[in-house]
Amino acid sequence: MINILIGIISIIGTLLIYVLSIRLHKKFNYPFTLPILVATIILVIVLLTFDISYNTYMLGGDWVSELLGPAVVALAYPLYKERFLLKKLIMPIVCGTIAGGFVGVSTGVLLTKWAGFDSEIIFTISSKSVTTPVSMAITESLGGITPLAAVFVMIAGISGSVLSTYLFKYTGLKHYLGKGIALGSASHAIGTATALESSELEGSISSIAMILSAMLISIIAPGLVSILL
Amino acid sequence: MLKSIKIVLHICLLYILFQVGNWIEQTFHLFIPGSVIGMIILFILLLIKVINISWIEEGATFMIKHLTFFFIPVTVGIMSYLDLFRGNGIVLVLITIASTLLVMLSAGHVSQWMITRKEAKHD
Repeated sequence: MINILIGIISIIGTLLIYVLSIRLHKKFNYPFTLPILVATIILVIVLLTFDISYNTYMLGGDWVSELLGPAVVALAYPLYKERFLLKKLIMPIVCGTIAGGFVGVSTGVLLTKWAGFDSEIIFTISSKSVTTPVSMAITESLGGITPLAAVFVMIAGISGSVLSTYLFKYTGLKHYLGKGIALGSASHAIGTATALESSELEGSISSIAMILSAMLISIIAPGLVSILL
Repeated sequence: MLKSIKIVLHICLLYILFQVGNWIEQTFHLFIPGSVIGMIILFILLLIKVINISWIEEGATFMIKHLTFFFIPVTVGIMSYLDLFRGNGIVLVLITIASTLLVMLSAGHVSQWMITRKEAKHD
């Protein structure tokens, strides 16, 4: 009974903080006020301040996470609506994603290697650009640290989404296609949520890039990592 | 009121597809997560007109609009790894960010270069 009560409180708390962060982002429209970043920081501070463990919070949080599944399924809807246009764009989408996949794995591996980290960490960071379950599966098969993989994935998702505005502006990435592919292949579903804020089309492109990149990296990561190590 | 009932029903259908995706993932030991499999199934079913777009439209629009919300509990999980942001771990955080920017740069510019070349040809 008490668990249900805690669950309901954490769901309501999450909802309130979400609404607050959306309002804040509307009022102060900077990349650093991105709702996912602000909401995460506020919640972590609240939980730490009141000494509530993550497991306790997840009594309710799990219910919200459970809905992440159908939310990803829902991405088929914009994909379907934009299907005719997307069909014409398939070549640049595939090539961009391949470029991103190779750059992601190799820079992750090489930078970590040069910084002097163990191979366990190198395995873990190699698949950070793809969505959490895929990254965890790849990390496990390579022999990395699975829970840490989820953290790298989150950092890639949030930092990519927050910094994309600057990157697009200063490197002249203007086309919705390039932006969508950049966000989907570097920052997976969190990036797709960001791309969807610009337009439905950019979001659909991002979701295709996210899927392709997950498939590509699960295929190339083992080989590429062993070559680069 | 009618609209919120619709949204709930649509989300139920999306949830069923998610579970079908999970089942396929586990049965065939696939790398691809159940949610992505569910998304591909929905896309195919929409294409071959087994599922009518009006059966999921409101629910899908609602969930996509609030996609960020569903991520929050997962990203809050970072609180268990705050040590990573101290000492040596901060290097890994910076590497992740740098590599992420390089992915965006390469993926974005390769595709933008291809599309602008293609568009120029057609003009």
